[in-house]
Amino acid sequence: MAPRSKTKTETPQGAGDEDAPMSDAPTSHQPTTEEVDESMADPDEDEAVPEAENEEDMLPEEVQRVRILPGSTEHAASFEFLEEGHTLGNALRFIINRNPDVELCAYAIPHPSEPKMNVRIQTFEGTTAIEALTKGLRDLQDICDVVTDKFVDARQEFASGVTA
Amino acid sequence: MDYGTTNPDEVIKHARIDKTPTVKISHSDALRCKFELKDTTMDFANTLRRVMLAEIPTIAIDLVQIEENSSVLADEFIAHRLGLIPLNAEGVKKLKSSRECDCDEYCDQCSVTLTLHAKCTGEENMQVVARDLVPAGDRLNDHIGTPVITDADGQGPLILKLRPGQEIKLTCIAKKGIAKEHAKWAPSAAIGYEYDPHNKFHHLDMWYEENPKKEWPPSDYATWEDPPDETQPFQFDAEPTTFYFNVETAGPLAPDAIATEAMEVMMMKLAGLVNELTAGEGGSGANGLESPGFGGGGGDGWQDGYTTPSGFGAGGGGNQSSWGGGGGVTPYGTTPYGGSGAPSW
Repeated sequence: MAPRSKTKTETPQGAGDEDAPMSDAPTSHQPTTEEVDESMADPDEDEAVPEAENEEDMLPEEVQRVRILPGSTEHAASFEFLEEGHTLGNALRFIINRNPDVELCAYAIPHPSEPKMNVRIQTFEGTTAIEALTKGLRDLQDICDVVTDKFVDARQEFASGVTA
Repeated sequence: MDYGTTNPDEVIKHARIDKTPTVKISHSDALRCKFELKDTTMDFANTLRRVMLAEIPTIAIDLVQIEENSSVLADEFIAHRLGLIPLNAEGVKKLKSSRECDCDEYCDQCSVTLTLHAKCTGEENMQVVARDLVPAGDRLNDHIGTPVITDADGQGPLILKLRPGQEIKLTCIAKKGIAKEHAKWAPSAAIGYEYDPHNKFHHLDMWYEENPKKEWPPSDYATWEDPPDETQPFQFDAEPTTFYFNVETAGPLAPDAIATEAMEVMMMKLAGLVNELTAGEGGSGANGLESPGFGGGGGDGWQDGYTTPSGFGAGGGGNQSSWGGGGGVTPYGTTPYGGSGAPSW
């Protein structure tokens, strides 16, 4: 019996010559991130900045955590949340769906390796998608408020029950 | 009680629940807190559970500088063990996050330093335990960063053992973090989450030999709820409204503090998002959220493209998205591969 081996034809012919050059590679769909460190590394540029502005630069840069995805309209919008997951997504979806002016609300985490959460909101004429989202967040805040109060009350009640 | 601008009745109407949520604590001690959360919905209860598990800031050893290690254990093995030692997180809110601190690597404002120096000089093997970790330098208060010791001997978790002549000398830098990043920052050892002790909603399909009622012991909470009325038909659209939590601490925070902290973390998260959403209001209709594809002809394009009842049909009338191609209505409507908008599924 002949020993098993790879057939010779599997070897690509002149593979090195036919490799696509990097410039032909499709462009990335990831948004390009601006290099923040670049200006820091340049001493001249640092000096040129007036002091008042410089102070502002010292503050940690505010990252925009919510944005509307392209293709959204007033009554039907997709929002992208950074650094959020099922913890907020599921509760937010439920609370927004309870808004009678909302036609549809759904959320998704497009890829588990990306810290992103997308929320889709479609509303009837009465409200806009942004309003519905804000209202949903406010409603959740109110529930948190109520539960915090109730928990503190319950804790006091329990503590007084133990000491009595 | 005043709950701010929104009328609580309105919230409750939305939640399809007739009453305001209530909390009842049935047991509370240094180790665990059992409470019942009533008249709320499962999504909210689950959010509370998830925040308690993974999003409450605590403090744990994050950097270890080893000067001398003649023990049998490798440096990185010891570093990992040190990271998992629970440290007291009292006042951790005032501790800065190391990433947001102005210092170069770490400082007193964003870290707690602990030192460990042990040498076995006797004839017997020696145990090095968490109590041997000595906080050094200035701390925000006298408790933060101290190893949590709950055993009767006051030793704390065993870190390693030394043979006669062996020595360990190291410095640990404990930093603030959350368990979403690494489990060593978890405030809780476990969180019990239970609802529907009688399985009225049939969310569980219990395995059984002959009779599930006989073979499955009832939950402790079975007496808290009415047993199901067998004469009534199954309520297929009923939703659970009562949840039983059992928060067990790993030591860094008191169990009831974990619950209140969780609510605070949630509030901060929501407040930040509401702020961002309303920040641009009052301007010229801009709300700071708009991405390039939003606006310009979007409204009209949407109407044109809205050809299917579900609204997820042909692309949104040619809105240009950053993914190229005629933008779809949803983020999924366009793919990097399809040149001309979404397929009409």
